[in-house]
Amino acid sequence: MARPRSTIEPFPVVVLCSGLGLLVCSVADALSRATLAPTPLLYWLGVLTVALPIFYRLTSEQASAGERLALVCLLGLSLYAVKVMRDAPVFTFSDELIHAFNANQIGDHHHLFRANPILEVTPKYPGLEGATSALMKLTGLSSYGAGVIFVGAARLVLIASLFLLFARVSGSARIAGLGAAIYTGNFNFLYWGAQFSYESLSLPLLLLLMMALAERESAPRAAWRAWAVPAVLATLAIVVTHHLTSYALSGMLVGLSLAFWYVHRNWRPPNPWPFAVLAVALAVAWLIVVASSTVGYLTPVLSNAFSAIGNTIVGEDAPRGLFQGEGTTVAETPLIARGVAFFAVALLTVGLPFGLRELWRHHRRKPFALLFGIAGIGFFGTLALRLTPPAWETGNRASEFLFIGLAFLLACACLEALRRWRGQRPVRPLLAAGLGVVLVGGAISGWPWDSQMAQPLRIAADGRTISSPPLGLAEWAADEVPRGRFAASVADAGLLLTPGGHVAIAGSSPDIEDIIDAESLGGWELPLLRRNKLRYVVADRRAARADSLRGYYFASEGSAAAELAPKSVVTKFGRIPGAARVYTNGPITVFDLRGRR
Amino acid sequence: MRGHADLRAAVAASLLCAVLALLLPLSELRVVFALPLTLFLPGYAIVAVTFARRRLERAQMLLLSLGLSLATLALGAILLNYMPGGIRAGSWALLLVLVVIAASRGAALRRPRPTTTKLGIPRLSPRRAELGLLAGGALAVLAAFLLAFMPLSAENAIGYTEMWIKPFSNESRAGVKIGVGNREQSDAEYRLRVHIGPEGEETVVYRDIALAPGQTQVRVVPIETPSSGQPTPVVAVLVMADSPTRPYRRVSAWIPPTGESG
Repeated sequence: MARPRSTIEPFPVVVLCSGLGLLVCSVADALSRATLAPTPLLYWLGVLTVALPIFYRLTSEQASAGERLALVCLLGLSLYAVKVMRDAPVFTFSDELIHAFNANQIGDHHHLFRANPILEVTPKYPGLEGATSALMKLTGLSSYGAGVIFVGAARLVLIASLFLLFARVSGSARIAGLGAAIYTGNFNFLYWGAQFSYESLSLPLLLLLMMALAERESAPRAAWRAWAVPAVLATLAIVVTHHLTSYALSGMLVGLSLAFWYVHRNWRPPNPWPFAVLAVALAVAWLIVVASSTVGYLTPVLSNAFSAIGNTIVGEDAPRGLFQGEGTTVAETPLIARGVAFFAVALLTVGLPFGLRELWRHHRRKPFALLFGIAGIGFFGTLALRLTPPAWETGNRASEFLFIGLAFLLACACLEALRRWRGQRPVRPLLAAGLGVVLVGGAISGWPWDSQMAQPLRIAADGRTISSPPLGLAEWAADEVPRGRFAASVADAGLLLTPGGHVAIAGSSPDIEDIIDAESLGGWELPLLRRNKLRYVVADRRAARADSLRGYYFASEGSAAAELAPKSVVTKFGRIPGAARVYTNGPITVFDLRGRR
Repeated sequence: MRGHADLRAAVAASLLCAVLALLLPLSELRVVFALPLTLFLPGYAIVAVTFARRRLERAQMLLLSLGLSLATLALGAILLNYMPGGIRAGSWALLLVLVVIAASRGAALRRPRPTTTKLGIPRLSPRRAELGLLAGGALAVLAAFLLAFMPLSAENAIGYTEMWIKPFSNESRAGVKIGVGNREQSDAEYRLRVHIGPEGEETVVYRDIALAPGQTQVRVVPIETPSSGQPTPVVAVLVMADSPTRPYRRVSAWIPPTGESG
């Protein structure tokens, strides 16, 4: 049927709103970079201008399946653009600096598996960096340019896979659209999950694999083999890309096989147990043959998490305060922001039983739906992990996998609400507003309040560009130091890796942080530096030097970040015989220990 | 591949994109050709051979093409790592073209009969007002990104002056290069004093180093290599012209640079 000449389709209006929302976010970022301290409301207004029209349209009955898919793709890419604009044109997440270093190493040396001085395990899972190297090599783009494009493509795969997965499992494009939109409210979607890091590729591939298996389940027997090909390719790619995702994949496939058995009482195809066996075998083989250091990397994280949970339960350790960061430069999260975050969790909690009821009514004979139900309930278990400091990261990382199931449940609940109160005007706006709260509240829960907007990294003065002190250090090192190994605090080390292009070691193993932080040297430090072949040591008086979120930027007048540690933090190195003070920019000074006697 | 227009187009496009991505001088132009070669064509060809006997919905086909291209890149890097020459532009281009050709050939053999399958780009007929809205959205995104990539003045940001020293020594001469960079937010005038020798026996003074924000000046200070062969300390002190008695920055080096390496 032809459209009346006067009507305008909603999609172009939504596109315009997305563009304007991104512009508002960019203006808020710009004001923040200009140290004008804009109200965060402006930034969130931009995010909501992007998201609310999409949410509202997704609640409509009229939109076609194709339009719904286009809407969620637009949502996913627009929210990714919010993150990209925050950081342009330099990576500023600590994991990004590590992975960009790996990508540059591949670019320079033409081979994988080169050592990473800060996170030893990362080169053992080279899927992301290896893939990015294709774009870098073929285009001449930097790791930043290639990485931004590559992660953008992966985000598109993530959101489209989620839509098609939910559509296949539920049989409803409306649930699929709502579910994919709700997933953007998971704590890590806006910031952490959009960074140039291995999970940003592996999670989309996991969803692609789930989509392929869901299609295989519903396809005629003759098509099973065809759908197995993308599943196997995705499994292989996940195993070489990210440890945790490969274990999550194994667990998911085992769970799905069991759910299949529970529903159909047999192990015959299309029960996906062969894929589970393949995933477990490949993940274990890669762990043993290539990435054995992963055991040493993950074991302390997980064992500390479990012991901390026990200690908190029996009262030996105090629970972690929510929205509390460590360090003097961390600003407090305002009460209203905490309120939005809690309200978002409350909405998720209220929606859960309704979602479970809908699942039981309509989808309980579907293995995928059962898996989603268990994952949705499990998500709330990860919230409890946030109450113990060592378990916080484990809970945070697990939540974005489990949120897939919760998003499906809540989408089912939303659809039922739309059906039940069909024709009542406030329902759709209320639902769209609720999704907006989940999106904003999730982002507040997942990323520190004071780091949501862009910070000044490079500023303009008199028509030229000036880099922040740590970035200035990294640029000097890139230009003037042909090769060298640096001992540095966490923030300086990250930038020395990328864009500095040098090997830099930070942290407690080896104990660099005590060498940097101490006001005097005790005698053990020089042998340690010598053992690790660290010729240069970076003394830094800035309060944010060990902060991997805030330590890269200009400090503002009067801010906590402008406070400096005592001068002896720097001068202690000047007393080493033969040491040369080769670089200084005030708070940061570099000593060359090559001539020490 | 006679009769399979989409497969012929995929192979031709992969060859064209590979050649142009390798040969074009400008990075921006190479991106235009490298993107389809890396992010679409390998996946499309794999989808074509895998689903040679089945029709996929357009959304599934596009998603699988993109997703399997990403998987191909992740796995392709492992493969190239063990090939002679390793991971290079040429080896990437060759691998991706081979994947496209092999999978397309396989698809042509597996398809029941020659078809005129095309990519199936949907026909869109937006009205003028809708085109205006879409263009408005695109312009807003462009403006947002331009603003995001633009350095802005930040009056409250605390600027700084950076200073570095780099000794050099060869058969004909020795000395130090001293760099001074004004990263303050305003013009600055400096004076530089360079003390050479254990007690600073020789002093060289550079006056009138006037730098605008963002400017850097490098001074080369020749120093005679001591006949004793013992390293000579060099200390450079920077002061602000309006506060000449108060050292502002200080760097040091040894001429010739000696000591253990590492």
